[in-house]
Amino acid sequence: MDEEKRISGKKNIVLCIVSVLILCILLFPLYWAFITSLKTEQEIFQNPPTFYPHVVNSKSYAAQVETGDFNMFRSFGNSFLISIGATIIAVILAVPASYGIAKYKFKGRKIMLLSFLVTQMLPVSVLLTPMFIMFKNLHVYNTWVAAVLADATIGIPFSILILKNYFASIPKDLEEAAYLDGCNRFTAFVRILIPIARPGVMVCAIFSFLYAWGDLAYGMTFILDQEKRPITAGIFNFMGQYGTKWSYLTAFAVVTIIPVALIFIFMQKYIVSGMTSGAVKG
Amino acid sequence: MDILSEKTFSLDNLSFFIFLPFRGAVNGCMMNASTDKPYMRKGLKERVKMKKKKITALLTAMAMTAGLLAGCGSSSDSGAAADTTGTGSDAGAEVQESPAAETTEADNSEQAAHTGEADAVTIWYYWETEGHQVALDQVIQDYNASQEQYEVTAKYVPFADFKKQLSIGASADELPDIAILDSPDHASYVEMGIFEDLTGKFDVSNYYDGTVNSCTVDGKLYGVPFGANCLALYYNEDMLNEAGCSVPTTWDELMDTAKALTTDSVTGLALCSVQNEEGTFNFVPWLWSTGATSYEINNDNGVRALTFIQSLVNEGVMSKECINWTQGDVMNQFISGNVAMMENGPWQIPTMQSEAPDLNWKVTLIPKDAEYSSVLGGENYAVINGGNVDGALDFLTYATSEEKVKYLMDKFGYISADKTIAENQFEADSPYQPFVEELNYAMPRGPLAEWPSVSDAISLAFNQVITGTAAPEDAAAEAQATIDGIVK
Amino acid sequence: MGKIKKFFRYDNVGIFFVLPAFLYMLIFVGYPIIRNIILSFQDVNAGNLVRGTKNFVMFNNYLELIGDSVFKTSLFNTLRYTVLCLVFQFVIGFALALFFNRKFAFAKPIRGILLVPWMIPVTVTALMFKLLFATDIGVINFILRSLHLINKNVEWLTTPGTAMFALICANVWIGIPFNMILISTGLTTIPKELYESSSIDGANKVQTFMRITLPLLKPTIESVLILGFIYTFKVYDLVYVMTSGGPVNSTHMLSTYSYKLSFEMFKYSKGSAVANVLLVILLIVGVFYIKATTEEEV
Repeated sequence: MDEEKRISGKKNIVLCIVSVLILCILLFPLYWAFITSLKTEQEIFQNPPTFYPHVVNSKSYAAQVETGDFNMFRSFGNSFLISIGATIIAVILAVPASYGIAKYKFKGRKIMLLSFLVTQMLPVSVLLTPMFIMFKNLHVYNTWVAAVLADATIGIPFSILILKNYFASIPKDLEEAAYLDGCNRFTAFVRILIPIARPGVMVCAIFSFLYAWGDLAYGMTFILDQEKRPITAGIFNFMGQYGTKWSYLTAFAVVTIIPVALIFIFMQKYIVSGMTSGAVKG
Repeated sequence: MDILSEKTFSLDNLSFFIFLPFRGAVNGCMMNASTDKPYMRKGLKERVKMKKKKITALLTAMAMTAGLLAGCGSSSDSGAAADTTGTGSDAGAEVQESPAAETTEADNSEQAAHTGEADAVTIWYYWETEGHQVALDQVIQDYNASQEQYEVTAKYVPFADFKKQLSIGASADELPDIAILDSPDHASYVEMGIFEDLTGKFDVSNYYDGTVNSCTVDGKLYGVPFGANCLALYYNEDMLNEAGCSVPTTWDELMDTAKALTTDSVTGLALCSVQNEEGTFNFVPWLWSTGATSYEINNDNGVRALTFIQSLVNEGVMSKECINWTQGDVMNQFISGNVAMMENGPWQIPTMQSEAPDLNWKVTLIPKDAEYSSVLGGENYAVINGGNVDGALDFLTYATSEEKVKYLMDKFGYISADKTIAENQFEADSPYQPFVEELNYAMPRGPLAEWPSVSDAISLAFNQVITGTAAPEDAAAEAQATIDGIVK
Repeated sequence: MGKIKKFFRYDNVGIFFVLPAFLYMLIFVGYPIIRNIILSFQDVNAGNLVRGTKNFVMFNNYLELIGDSVFKTSLFNTLRYTVLCLVFQFVIGFALALFFNRKFAFAKPIRGILLVPWMIPVTVTALMFKLLFATDIGVINFILRSLHLINKNVEWLTTPGTAMFALICANVWIGIPFNMILISTGLTTIPKELYESSSIDGANKVQTFMRITLPLLKPTIESVLILGFIYTFKVYDLVYVMTSGGPVNSTHMLSTYSYKLSFEMFKYSKGSAVANVLLVILLIVGVFYIKATTEEEV
C-alpha cells in the first residue's frame, strides 16, 4: 500500500461524509428490514410508518427459536459446509484453468473458453432433473456432497472468466525471470503467478462461496432431509409458513444475514486488501 | 432431537472434506513438478514422450479426484447413518447404499444404523402448519410402535416444491412409498404412471363422491382420500353488528355488506387470488355459482363471475393485494382486523383459535349467484408403484381406520372424507359445522390430467380482471381459447 | 534466451491446466445440455415422462412458442430487464469503484461494508424489497408521498408495469457491489506510473480516464458486462420470490416461464424449448464476447 497519496484535510472530510451518505442510501433496505423485525405487527401497519420501533418487540426473534423442528444453527452449519466445499473445488479447478487459458495459446482454447461461458448460461429448470439423476447414481443424493458438486458448477466458470484477466495482465518477463531463476512451469505458477494474482483468487473464492451460500434451487432439490438443508431452504419454508407476517419474516432475514455480515466485517481487512491491493508491480 | 450427534457428524465431515482434496492437489502438483523439470531440457522426440507421460500423470490425478469424490460420497452416506465416531473417513471405501439411513430422522438414527430389522416406508407431504406435522407424526409413531415389520418416516417437502420434486423423482426413480398430495394434481400423476392401482383394496363406498372421484381414473382407484375440506365465508361478527348488517347470502347482499364494512383501515372482503392452483381453488366457487363450469367460461355466466370479482376490487371493498396473499395471509389479515370477511377453509380454525382467541367470528355459506357452490379441497394418499407397496398398504389401512381418521381430522381442522364419520364429527354449534353443510355444495376440480393447464387459464383470467389488465369479456374469451386447446 | 523461446512454443501444454475444470463442467453440465436439446424436440408430458414412447415432434415445441403470448412477454421482459439492470448497475458500480479508489480515510472500510447487499441470499433480498415496495405499508410509497411525488399509494407489485420496475431495483441493488468490486480490483492492476506520467503530461482527469483507465480496464469491463448479462438474463430466484411471474404473467422471464412449464404444468418439452431459446440467445452473446476478447489478445 502506498501511503504517500493519501488524501487529507478538508477534502478528506468531504469525501468521508459523501461516502457515509452513499452507505446510508445503499444499506437502507437492510436497516428497514432490521427495524421492521423489532416492530409489532400493529406498528408495521401504522401510517405514517415509524423509522424506529416505538415499542421494541422481540417476540418475532423468540419465535425463531421456538418454531417447529427447524434448527437454525444446524442449517447454518450445513450452509457453511456446502459453501466451503464448493469454494474449494471451484478454486482448485479454476485457478490453473484460468492460468492455462490466459497464458497458453493451445488449440481449442476458444472453444473451451466458450464452453465455460455456456455452462453458466443454463437456467435451473434445465439442470435440476439431469443433475438429480447423476447424483442419485453417484449415491450422493440427499447428502451435502450433491449440493457441493452442484454449487461448484456456478463458481468454476465464473472464476475462470474473472481470473484469466489477472493472469493475462501479469507481464511475461516476470514468468521468464522465474524460469531463469530455476523455476519450472509449475513452480513458477505456484510461487510467482498465484501470489501475484492473489487478489483475483480471493475474489473468486469469495464469489464462489457466496454463490453457493445464496443457492436455493440446488439445496432444495438435491437434499430432501430438512436437517441437512442449507439456510436458504429454511427461509423459503419460513416464507411459505408465515406469508406476510412481516415481523417474523424480517426477523428471520436479519438472523440469516448477521453471521455472514459479522464474518465479513471481521475479515474485511483481509478480504478487501486481498482483493484490491497487491497489484502488479510492473 | 439428538442435536449433539448431528453436530459432531457434520464437523467430522467438514474436516474430512477439507483435508482430502488438498492432499490430492498436493500429490497432483508434485507429479507435475517432477515431470516438468527434465522436460525443459530434453530434445524434441523425448518431449513428445514426456507429453505422453504427462497425460498419464494427469489421468492418474483425475482418477484420484474421482476416487475422492466417491470417497466423499461414501463417507457422507455412512455419516448419515449417525457415524459419530469419526472413523468413517476411509476414503475410497466401497459406496454402500443404505436407503433406510437416508430417510432416518436424527432421533432414531440408532435404529437406522442397523438396517434390515424393519422395512422402511417413506411418506412425502407438504403441510407446513406445525399442528399438522405433529399430528401426522403422532399417528406414524403409534403405527411404528404397534408393529415390528415396517418403519414409517415422513418427510416434509414444501408445497411450492412438491410437484417439482415428484416430477424429478419420477424421472430419476427416486420416490417415496406414499405421497400425500393435493387432490387436483392426482390425475396428472396417475397418468405419469407412478401410482399403484388400489381398486378393491380400500372400502371407499362411504366416502364423499367428489373425494373418491379425485383419485379415480378410468374407473380405477389410485388413491385414498386423506380428508376433505372446502371453502366458506368467514365474517367478523362484531364488525357486522356494528355496521348493522345481516349475514349475506347472495352476491348483491355480499356487495352491500362489504361496502358497509369497508372503512379507512378495513376492507370488506378478501380472498386468496394468487395466480396458481391456490388462487383457482378460491375462484371456482364464484364461477360455478353462476352455472358456468371449469371448461365453459366464455358465456354470460362466466363473464358475470369475472365481472363480480372485478367490481369488488373496483368498488374498493377487496384489496388488489389479494393477488399476493396466500390463504394463510388472508387469514392473518382477517385475524388482525384488516379484513371483515374472507373466503377460507376449515384448516385455519385451529390457528385462528390459538392466535386470536378473542376474535368474534362465524362461518357461513359462500353467497350465491344462481346456486350455492363451493370447491372440494384436501389431500389424497397415493401409493407409489415399485416402492414398498406392502408396507405402504399396511400403514394406510392403519391410518384410515376410524379412530385415526378422527384424530387426524380433529387436529387438522379437516372434515373426514368418510360421510359416516363426518356426520358425527362436530357438535351442532361447532364452527366446523357450516363446512360440513358447505361440503354438500362442494365440487372437485378435474379430475383431469391436464388440470394444471386449465387451472392456469382460470386463475389468469381472474387475475386479469382483478388487476384491470383485461375486461371480463376478453379475459373469458382468452381463457376459453386456452382451455379449448387443452380439452377440445 | 533461446531456451525460453522454445519453452513458450509449446503452448499446447496449457491444456492440462484447463482440462480438470473442463471435464468437471462437462460431466455436470454437458449432459444436461444434451438432454435438454433432445427433450425440446420430443413431446414429453406427464403421460410419457416415465413410461410410454417419447415421440420426436421436430420443431413443434418451438413453433408452439411463436403463438404463445406468455412466451413473447417473457422474452421481451428478459431482454428489457437485462439491459436496464446492466446499464444501471454498471454505471453506478463503476462510479462507486472510482470514488472509493481515492485514498480518503473511510474509503476502504465503507467499500467493504457496501459489499454486504451482495452477500445476502437472493431469497432474502427479494423478501426485503417486497416489503419496501408493499402498497400500504411500504416505505417507498411513504417517501414518495412525503415528497409529494404521488398522491395515492402506487400498487408496485400488483400492477404489471411497476412490478417490473421493482424487480429491476432489487436486481440493481444486488448488482452494484458486484460491479463495484470487480472494477475496483481491475483498477488495482493499472500501474500507478501511468497515472503519474499522465499528470506530468498535463492531462486532466477526464483525459486520464479516457486514455488510461478505460482502455486498461477493457478486459475487466468486458468480463463484468458479460457475466452480468448472463446472470441477469437467467434470473430466477429473485423473480420467483418477489412476483412469481405475476401479476398476470407480466414479469415472467424465460427462466421462470420454463420452470413453470416444466414443473408446474408438466409440459417438460415445451419448458425445454423455452430454456433453449434462452440458451441460444446467451450463446450468441457469448460468441461475440469470445471473438472480441480473444482477437485483441493475439
